[in-house]
Amino acid sequence: MLVSEIEVVTPATLKECLTMIANEDMNTRLIAGGTDAVVRMKEGKWRPSTWVNIKGLRELRYIIEKDGAIHIGPLTTHTDIIKSSLLQKKANVLVEASREVGAIQMQNVGTIGGNIGTASPAGDTLPALYVLNTVLELSTRNSKRIVPIEEFFTGPGRTILKKNEMITNIIVQPHGENEIGIFQKLGPRKAQSISIVNVAISLLMEKDRQVLSGKIAFGSVAPTIIRAKKCESILTLHPLTDEMIQNVAKVAWKEVMPITDVRATAEYRRDMASSLLERGLYRLMRRWENK
Amino acid sequence: MKQLNTTKNEQSLNWVGKRVKRIDGPEKVTGELKYMTDLHFDNMVWGKVLRAKYPHAKIKSIHTLNAEKLPGVVCILTHKDIPGFNGFGIVIPDQPVLCSNIVRCTGDAICLVAAESEEIAERALELIDVEYELLEVVTDAEKAMTASAPQLHPDGNIHSHVKIKNGNTEEAFIEANIIVENTFYSPRQMHAFIETEGGWSVMDADGFITIHCPGQYAHRDRMQIARALAYNPERIRVISSPIGGAFGGKDEITVQIYLALLAMHTNGRPVKIHLSREESVIAGIKRHPFKVHMKTAAKKDGTLIANEVRAVADTGAYASLGGAVIALAIEHSCGPYKIPNVNLEGFCVYTNNGISGAFRGFGVNQVCMGIETHLDMIAERLNMDKVEIRKKNVYHQGEISSLGHIVKSSVGTFKTLELAENCDLWKNRRQYKSAVSEPWKKRGVALATSFHGIGMGIGLPDYGAASIEILSDGKFLVAVGCEEIGGGNSTAYAQVAAEILNCDINNIKVVQGDTSRTLDGGTVTASRSTYTGGRAVATAAPNMVKLLTNTAAELLNVPPSKIEVLPNCLNANGKVVNYQTIYQYLFEHHRSTRVEGHFILPKEKVEIEGSGGAPHHLYGYLTHVVMVEVDTLTGETDVLRVVSIPDAGKVINPQGLEGQAEGGAVMGIGYTLYEDVVIENGFHKTRNFTDYIIPTIRETPLIETFPVEDTPEESGPFGAKGIGEVVMIPIIAAIMSAIYDATGARIYHLPATPERIFNALKELKKQNVYSSR
Repeated sequence: MLVSEIEVVTPATLKECLTMIANEDMNTRLIAGGTDAVVRMKEGKWRPSTWVNIKGLRELRYIIEKDGAIHIGPLTTHTDIIKSSLLQKKANVLVEASREVGAIQMQNVGTIGGNIGTASPAGDTLPALYVLNTVLELSTRNSKRIVPIEEFFTGPGRTILKKNEMITNIIVQPHGENEIGIFQKLGPRKAQSISIVNVAISLLMEKDRQVLSGKIAFGSVAPTIIRAKKCESILTLHPLTDEMIQNVAKVAWKEVMPITDVRATAEYRRDMASSLLERGLYRLMRRWENK
Repeated sequence: MKQLNTTKNEQSLNWVGKRVKRIDGPEKVTGELKYMTDLHFDNMVWGKVLRAKYPHAKIKSIHTLNAEKLPGVVCILTHKDIPGFNGFGIVIPDQPVLCSNIVRCTGDAICLVAAESEEIAERALELIDVEYELLEVVTDAEKAMTASAPQLHPDGNIHSHVKIKNGNTEEAFIEANIIVENTFYSPRQMHAFIETEGGWSVMDADGFITIHCPGQYAHRDRMQIARALAYNPERIRVISSPIGGAFGGKDEITVQIYLALLAMHTNGRPVKIHLSREESVIAGIKRHPFKVHMKTAAKKDGTLIANEVRAVADTGAYASLGGAVIALAIEHSCGPYKIPNVNLEGFCVYTNNGISGAFRGFGVNQVCMGIETHLDMIAERLNMDKVEIRKKNVYHQGEISSLGHIVKSSVGTFKTLELAENCDLWKNRRQYKSAVSEPWKKRGVALATSFHGIGMGIGLPDYGAASIEILSDGKFLVAVGCEEIGGGNSTAYAQVAAEILNCDINNIKVVQGDTSRTLDGGTVTASRSTYTGGRAVATAAPNMVKLLTNTAAELLNVPPSKIEVLPNCLNANGKVVNYQTIYQYLFEHHRSTRVEGHFILPKEKVEIEGSGGAPHHLYGYLTHVVMVEVDTLTGETDVLRVVSIPDAGKVINPQGLEGQAEGGAVMGIGYTLYEDVVIENGFHKTRNFTDYIIPTIRETPLIETFPVEDTPEESGPFGAKGIGEVVMIPIIAAIMSAIYDATGARIYHLPATPERIFNALKELKKQNVYSSR
């Protein structure tokens, strides 16, 4: 398929869109911000016969608080997230992660739904969504299902999403009074870079440095985002002193299974899982104490 | 050397030495300027190049029939369609225009396609069937030099071998109190210009060919095109400016010959080629990766007494300027110091790793890191100050360099070191270093100094030329062959012209890089274009003043001696003549409105035996001071501050110098910390800017520029000399030393990526544990 032969259709409503992708005769793909789709098209990897351009579907671009959860429309851009005072207050870890996506130009057009749908193991918003207990609403023309984000990905670039299905809502659990979170990224440079390793941390604090429970999710060190469950359980054993932070961080090394690629070796990625966790916990404790 | 009549004192200068706004600034900043690759015409056809599928293979056959049948294909050309010599290369034309029997890298071109659209041209490339027989790939320069390696060219894999010997190093090493010895590896840096290689070309009904293609020497490009086309060069026009960046990467032929060949087969329709970033990564020229082994000896008091260097440069599949790069590297391998005993040797070696050629710094970057690191190591072992050891060993004007020749031109190193020593960052470094924000971060401050030859060196003719024409609107058209590749030479030329003509700078128009409108004045390379082109303008301008004066005298019927050259006009006894009137008079009398200026660069008379062109007569000097912060948890390094102290002679435009100093510093940061085009088994692992990491504004620190100006170069325009390359050199060694200063880990293999630094820190920890047992 040549690029010039690809059609672009622009549905006016979500319903119209779901009808279009339900058509089994049409080889369709969704395009929103295009920050991944256009690159893949250029590389010859994604050449559907029809792009379904959903960029203008206003009804899928929102950030609202509802029944104790925060609902984020899949067409919400990274910039929308960064600027949202609600998310800044109650899900800051996602705001921090969105700030690390590409550069400002990409944040302006790239969408959170796209970041999830692309299913890159290095996707920057994903670890943050993991530690916020995110569930996704997936819709077809006739049905809806709710899936926890941890069950959504099946491998690098692969998800459980069916051809006639799309992400229509992203529901995150906001942080409560004593919950704090942080996102840490290591890339080959500070902006415009793909993560070598990234990590999101969310802690429920008791008092001082005692952790009641915690969630840690790593990106770029396994086929999908992974939770560091051993580290999470050790977190609660003793108050998180600087020494304790180092001990927890060391364990991270055992919880990841990275590969070597052009950006870094597996060994370095392993070391960095520990380093980023140490750096993140250290910074988080400073924040907690200054709160 | 004849003294110029431009020795006005500082106060009387109107334009030179002033912060003059760039004349090409507004249209570049607003985007109004169209690069040649931006242009499109309705009847234009698209050209594409079929590149080799393998890094080393025999071509058994090329079948183009299926591609020719594709609707929309205008023509498909192979080596059989080259009317003239099938090769190009600035020094030796060893690179085929279109390969006929062997491919030596994946950047090699095999066929050219012209088609109605870019997509059709791409599709046509897919339909061309080339049968290959694979050959063993030569991936390592050291191995390429051994007898068992496949020979890539008839004369073997060693393209050039340079050697400089002075004194007796063996004895000196016995006498020495300290010897340091290390091996340094440097990366394959990409020029990463904003405008990838490309352009367009058209042949008119009379067979006159015009090629619009960014380059660094239109007149030489034309000769290379003419040779391949077997065509009268007078029937070819090359327009090579404006340019979206070059840095040496457009010094060699890029696509000019392809464009000319295609234009001969498109029935007078313009044809355009514009490489994608991916194709530019594969086919474009890169900086030579070097392996440099260095052994340096000193006495107890810090006097350097010997240096031994063996440098091996990987030039890839073709020579381009590789021979000259290794020669310049060896010439500069001892730094701006006087080391009495040296034994220096360099090899430029063919492999199947792309193609390397000219790049800002031209080999000096790769050796500077060696000698400067050694200076610091020696100073540390002697517990000596880092500035002191350099001051002690630098040569001054009139002294004998490490190469054994007397340096006759101006030398600013000592002054730059004095300034470095007294700058805020160096003086207060302890305080700055202690101001880390988090406990695992470590800061370091270091300095390094280097130099860079200006012009071509011995053995290559080196000249400048400029013309000035008075136009009907009373403006002056200054024409210089040297292109504006972004460095700001156009503004410098305008300043020099305005200064001598005594007119407003808005009265000067500058045209560059056009074989029909500019004289051959050499390349925009070798840190030479401000110096050479500026001097040529300064030579032409007095001729224009003379023309104006004589014409005004005729007009007013007074002797020329009565004519006064006033700002923007001429005057005799209260009667004013403006430039338009002079033009009118010349025009009506069918007289020439144009003057020329020519000049030959000063050279050394005696070449150092075996050196391949050393020494240069002129050098620019520069010292860098940097502060870095290393995150020891990850190995990430931030350059926080840079002080750049150039000796550029008289500064023509302080703003332009700062632009060069800042751009050079950032390019040096990229080279040291991030950039490398990775090639494995002859195939590029780095494909585009996703994985080729260049610094962004977030990696750009505070950069201060403090020029040393009390060493004007007499032969230059108003005392100026070149600075375009050395601005990126010492910073490389300075960052490496600052990382050491911060962490105790030395990096010998660039780029110093977080992973390399982290591993060095890990290694250091292991050693410390071991030694404390």
